[in-house]
Amino acid sequence: MILTPKILARLVAIVVLGVLLQLSFFSQVAIFHVSPDLLPVLVISMGLLGGTMTGVVTGFSVGILLDCLLIEPLGGASLVLLAAGYLAGLFRERFEIHSALVPPLLCMGLTIFAEIGFGAIELMLGTDATVSGLIMRDILLKGVFAFVLGWPIYLGLRRILRPALVEDQAVRRTRRPPVVGT
Amino acid sequence: MYRKQVRRRRAVLALLIVGSFVLLTITYGSGSNGLQRGVSTIFSPIQSVANGALKPARDLVNWFDQTLDARGRNSRLRTELQTARKQSVGAAAALAENTQLRKLLSLDRGGAIPSGYDPVTGRVIARSPTVWFSDVTIDVGSDEGVRVNDPVINGDGLVGRVSAVTGGSAQVTLIADHSSAVSGKVVPLAVQGVIRPNVGDPGDLILDFIDSAKHVHRGQIVVTAGWRAEEIESDFPPNIPIGEVTKAPLVEQEAQQQVHVRPFADLRDLDLVQVLAGGSRG
Repeated sequence: MILTPKILARLVAIVVLGVLLQLSFFSQVAIFHVSPDLLPVLVISMGLLGGTMTGVVTGFSVGILLDCLLIEPLGGASLVLLAAGYLAGLFRERFEIHSALVPPLLCMGLTIFAEIGFGAIELMLGTDATVSGLIMRDILLKGVFAFVLGWPIYLGLRRILRPALVEDQAVRRTRRPPVVGT
Repeated sequence: MYRKQVRRRRAVLALLIVGSFVLLTITYGSGSNGLQRGVSTIFSPIQSVANGALKPARDLVNWFDQTLDARGRNSRLRTELQTARKQSVGAAAALAENTQLRKLLSLDRGGAIPSGYDPVTGRVIARSPTVWFSDVTIDVGSDEGVRVNDPVINGDGLVGRVSAVTGGSAQVTLIADHSSAVSGKVVPLAVQGVIRPNVGDPGDLILDFIDSAKHVHRGQIVVTAGWRAEEIESDFPPNIPIGEVTKAPLVEQEAQQQVHVRPFADLRDLDLVQVLAGGSRG
């Protein structure tokens, strides 16, 4: 990703808007009694567009802001989201995204990974309560919601960050019409 | 050049991972810190505005969910409809009164709240996005007299307690959170126990460590016990409704000393809550 002050401003706006939208909207709606989780989808899409570095930094920033606004111990959400962003970025660097199904499928898989990660962090910090089997259903449903949200968010971010994307610039250069002699 | 890039990436990754662990270690169990208070002060007004602006959209999505849910309960609801119709006329008048009374009495529960508490009404402005945490952020904080460990209720019953405060907002840990434990008693038996969550299912709480000699029955009400021992006392005042016993098999009571309780408050759909500030806790 080519970073300019303008692109940096856009990235900050994406992170802030994403967290605010999650807390004020997505966390407070329920479909089949489960709230969609936009933030892993946002971080994964950033990783898919910009690579590991973008994924990791976005994941860390989103996590810190989320923990600050929820007054949670800092670092837990960051750790999980930066891991999701890193894995998405790694996929982008190692493989080609051939099919339109790849981003939503990755969003689904890595969102489930992130939800399990949040659970692992909780266990690490000491959970002293019974865990209902319904939590598995909730995690899977969050994965399905991530699949649905994945494609529009990926496309939206790609549009917003187009000037900074290395691949898109290369494609645009190759598509430039040949100069015909006068 | 490529190797240098790879090394830089790895360094950033390692730095952020180590940073996350360090932050987690420093801030775990220490309540709110300066950074959180600063960020919260900046974002609280924005969150309040966003919360209000997005309410119609949220209501629309929730309406779909509730409609789907209601279809499955159609037959049971039909039988309840007749009773509800009779009550609806009275309810309409009560609703109009309610709006005025809410302003006047600030959700005072008329005797349920012991004297010495100064109820502060707040609105939920954010809630945790993952299924593992059960906490919400409300738009009142230390500026309004809210303190850590203050009990939080809504019109139906106990919701949770304040776990962190900033000037203009507070984090409320719900009774469905894994870290929650509330001493409760079954009325009228006065069987005491500890209300524990069933993580992942906010509609099911467990009243644990009950006296297996006294048998609890389905439909009985659970309220806060509000114990006091010399200089220390419970965070929760006595007799705040918590929920209703839904499952109380004798085998489970005798073997595991526990029964299942459905909370009166809908913990998935909280809007207005009341913090019982100013209690005299030791």
